Parts: sequence; structure tokens; C-alpha cells
Amino acid sequence: MLGRLKQLIGKLYVIALMAYAIWFGYFIYPLIFSHGGHEEAAQPSAGADLRMPGALTAEEKALHKIRAEQKATETTDLGYVVLKEQYVKGHFHHIGMTVETDETNVCIKCHGAVPHNKAKTIRAFLNMHAFYIACETCHINTMAKPDQAPWTFRWYDKKTGQVVANPPALVSPDLEKYGNYGTKIAPGTQADNGTFRFINGDEERLFLAKYLKTKDAMDSTEQARMKRVMHNKVSEKPLLCEDCHNMEKSYLPFAELGYPPRRIDRLENTAVVGMINKYREFYLPRFFELHGEQTQTPVPR
Amino acid sequence: MGKSFFKTRVVTLLAALLLCGIAGAVNAEDELDCLLCHKYRGLSRIDENGKFRLFYINEAIFKEGPHVRIKCADCHQDIKKIPHDPAKKVECTTECHLIEPSGQKNFSHKPVSDLLAKSVHGKLDADGKPKKDQQDYPGCKDCHEEPLYRPLSFFKGKSSGVSERGLARCQTCHRTGDFAESFYKHVTSRLRKMRDPKEIVGICAKCHGDKEFQQRHKLDDVVTSYKETYHYKALLFGSQETPDCTDCHVVKGEGVHFIESKKSPTSASNKKNVPTTCRTSECHEKAGEKLAGYQVHVTYDKDKYPLQHYMLVFFTWLTAGVLYFFLTLIFLELLRRLFPHYSFVKPTGDDHHSSR
Repeated sequence: MLGRLKQLIGKLYVIALMAYAIWFGYFIYPLIFSHGGHEEAAQPSAGADLRMPGALTAEEKALHKIRAEQKATETTDLGYVVLKEQYVKGHFHHIGMTVETDETNVCIKCHGAVPHNKAKTIRAFLNMHAFYIACETCHINTMAKPDQAPWTFRWYDKKTGQVVANPPALVSPDLEKYGNYGTKIAPGTQADNGTFRFINGDEERLFLAKYLKTKDAMDSTEQARMKRVMHNKVSEKPLLCEDCHNMEKSYLPFAELGYPPRRIDRLENTAVVGMINKYREFYLPRFFELHGEQTQTPVPR
Repeated sequence: MGKSFFKTRVVTLLAALLLCGIAGAVNAEDELDCLLCHKYRGLSRIDENGKFRLFYINEAIFKEGPHVRIKCADCHQDIKKIPHDPAKKVECTTECHLIEPSGQKNFSHKPVSDLLAKSVHGKLDADGKPKKDQQDYPGCKDCHEEPLYRPLSFFKGKSSGVSERGLARCQTCHRTGDFAESFYKHVTSRLRKMRDPKEIVGICAKCHGDKEFQQRHKLDDVVTSYKETYHYKALLFGSQETPDCTDCHVVKGEGVHFIESKKSPTSASNKKNVPTTCRTSECHEKAGEKLAGYQVHVTYDKDKYPLQHYMLVFFTWLTAGVLYFFLTLIFLELLRRLFPHYSFVKPTGDDHHSSR
């Protein structure tokens, strides 16, 4: 019995060695034949990511470049701290903080997270707001329909789309993230029983997911009709800056959303309102008219 | 618009600006309160070419670099008012308001730019004519992001960061503002490389690692060949002393922006000067002439370097042959141990009898 056990262990040992020999042959192959840059290709740097393959068209190269840039990061080692940040080609100043992307908003699934580019004077500002305010906050009819309860605004988590508490960073200067709260303000309705529902909630997200999955099977007319249906809540005229940044009554209830009095004062009074007035007075008298009536004056951004 | 109304507006706006200035007094140099808007991470747009343009300034990081001492408008000189027109490209060689202490003149990066212009990376040739493929010759921002201090502490042993005790000694006399800390960070950062050697290799690789770039300028793949050297392996292990590109390619006694073609007789990588380059203090000071008598960047291009190419092929197959031969031998030996009596040849009756 003992002899048989010894024999079995011996055989298992030999089998293990044979497996090791095969693995070693596989492992050593790339090391022997890797001369000539294969090693580098396995660990591309941010710069290497952006290299252009030779046989692509200009459009394909642009696509390749955009995709590479989107995921590229860079590292700055200061000795006592290492900064790892998003790489934006041509951007001189350091970015530092990691961006928490919105993975739930239905609009940005098609329109992207940096959607504003028409109104030259304010497009960067609008994109700045889109970082912490959901599209539907400004782009859906500002007043609820008569048979609906008035809009109520809540913060939602960018990852889950669910209601979350007001961001603590709003009231604590130590936690200040300047818009990068990981949450966004969105409108919804509060039923009599107290339940809250976002205008673009789980139902709408599910519907959009289904549409995106099946749209390639639809013809162009069907797609156009579907788009029309999906955009039926969208207002012809979006909210204007001064609807919130004014000294009388802000459309957004800043206090309810967790903004401290100091910041509300700044948003509704001096700084921001002053800037909006300056824009209107000195640069673009009609810059708010976003729909086809934009001035041709060369303007910021 | 009435004149008095206009005046009222101006006064109101000036008051607003003043209040903005007070609120934004965190950064003393932010006179126009640029951070009122630019502190927001989402301030961005996508331009006509699909390029993502980000206008965000991370104030905390910005304060860790030498540019914290200058005003935003010192670099962005076309911006005189808020809201501003589209900002023009920053010209690094313009003079800022800082006084350069040794010459008592306004500070400028022009000497650096001049050095770069006469180097191999300059856009003009010796006759002052634009070189071919202008887009391949670097401007400041192609290699530089916003510089950040890399302070050193050697109060008790060398380490990275600011020595609180060292700084406290400076502040005994230099008490006003953050002069002492800023000066400490500036000087100690200059006592070593402002950037990690791996980052420098990465910067050079942006162009020199690009195959199309190499073809356009008939250059070898020096990035890959460098990465096969001991020097790079040491960098991967975190060494700060091992040479990166600039250590060997900068002309002796010049700033890092002065790199010459190896064909130039004064170039650090010219064959005649290579031994001197290797013998630089802090490197192989006592090395003999032949330390770098071989081809440092070994490239295996078949047409350009046939000898190196065929040597590589020979040694690759020699290594593979030896390894796989003995590996096969070991495998067969193990197989025999597993099946000691197995044979492909079936024993005949005669064998059976003879074995008896």
C-alpha cells in the first residue's frame, strides 16, 4: 500500500515537472523573440498611445486619436507626491482631480457630457454647469403642466441615478470640489405620499437603453419618429442664466439644494449677476437668443 | 443708452469686480479673479476639430509651481477684462512683471527659447531658412506642462519635500509673506532635475518613438533601443541618478534645451565626445575611453545596420535552439519516468524468448 502511494506521488511529481517544462517553454518564447520594440508595445505610454498607424484615413486617424486621448493619463512625480491625472493634449495647466462621469443621464448617452457648442459666448460656461446640473433642469419646460405637481429639485448620484443627500462639499470649504461632486441636480415630482420621481428616472433610462439597442434595426423614418417622441418634453427655449442668477427669485431653490447663504449670495447677487450684466451690456446684446438668432460678433470661447 | 445710465452700470460693475476680487483673494496674484470661473472643473468645450478644450485651473496644484508668483495676465497678456475674448496662444518669451535678480531686468524665458532655436530642435536651419516638416519641431508646450516644484530636504539626510526645520531657519529673517518657502522650493528644486527621468524619456518618446516621425527624419528608433539598456532598467526600479535622454545629449556646460545633432563636432553624442559625456561628474568619472566605444543605441534595422540585424537573428535562434533543445530533452526524460516500460516497438516472440 505504502509502495503504491509512493509511486503515485512520484508520478504526480513527474507530471507537475512536465507541466512546468511546457509552461516554461511558453513563458520564455516572448522573452527570446521580443527584441525590436514588442516590449514597449506591451506597456504604451501616454505619448505612445497617440501614435498614428500609417495606413488609416484622416477620419480613422482622428477617431483613433480621440479614443487614445480619452483614456490617456500622465504621471508627474514630485518626489514627495505623485500626480496621476487625465492627459489632455495641449493643456498646459495641471488638472489633478479625477472626474466622476455621469453614467445615468439619458440625454448625455447621445449628446455627450460636453454638449454645448453653439452659443460661442457661453458654451464653456454651459458645459461647466452641465457638470453638476442635469440637462433636463434647463432644457425641459420650466413649469410643470397644470395637472402635475410643480418640479422639485434633488441631487442624484452620477453612478446610480438615484436621489442622494445634498453634497457636503457645498458647505465645507475643505471638501470643495468646484462642481465635481459626483452628483447632479435634476428636476422631478413629489407625489402626495411623499415619493419622489425624477423626470428622467429609471423608466426613461430603460426605454433609452432599449431604443439604443434596437435603433439599428429601424429605418430612418422610424428613428426620426422615435427621436421626436423622446424629445417631446424638451423645451423650445431653455432656461436662461438670469432665471437662476438674479436678485429676485431664482428658478433653482439653492437653499433647499444645500447651498450655504454665502454661496447663494454670490450666485444671486454680485459676482455672477455682475458678469452676466457685463456680457449683455458690453459684448453681446442678444447672446441669450440661442435658437438661430445668434449674433456674429466674435465672442469669448 | 443714456450717459448717466452707462456710468451707473460701470460703477456697479466695478463694485461687483471689487467684491469678486475680495472673494477671490485666496490667490493674491489672481487680480482679475479668473478663478471665479476657471476653478470649475467642467469649464470646457469641444472645438471645431473635435479637440477637447479644458479651461480649468487646479488652484492647489498651481500654487506648487514657480508660476504662482506671476499674475494670470502676465502670460495671458491679451486678457484685460472679464468676460474676455478668446484667449490667444501664450507666448512664453514675453517679459513678465517679475524682476530677474541677477540682471535687475524683467524675467522672460527668451534665453531658453534662443537656446532651443540654435539646437537641433530649432525650427530654422543654419541659413535661417525654415526646416522641412515644421510641425515636428517642438514649441515650449510640446515638452512642458505647467512646471511644479520638486523640493528637497537635506536638513537631516536627503529626502523629497520641504524640510520644516530648514525652512524655519530661513523664516527667522525672511518673515514677510511666503518668500522664504517659495525661495526654498525654487532653489532646492533646481538642485536636482525638475522632472522624474521616466517622464523625460516619455516626453522625448512622444516624437522620437513615433514611427512616422522616425521615417520623416530618417532617425533610428532610439526610444526602443534606450529601453533595452541597463540605464532604463535602473529607471524602472526608481533610480533618479541613472541617465535619461537629456543627461547624455545636452551639450556640456549648456542648459538642457541645447541638444545638437550627433554630427556636430560639439555635440555631446558626437563619437569623439562620447567618452567625455560618460565621464561627466556624478556619472562614470573614472571611465576609460572605450566605456562607450560601442554603439550605445543598438538598432537592428536590416538595411541600415545589417551586421547588428544578423547578429540579433543569430543569437535569438541560438538562444531559442539551446533552450528548446534541452527543454525537449528534459520533457522526454520525464516522460520516460512516467512510462518506464512503454515502447513504440512491440516486442516480438523472439525478443520474448531471448529475454527469458
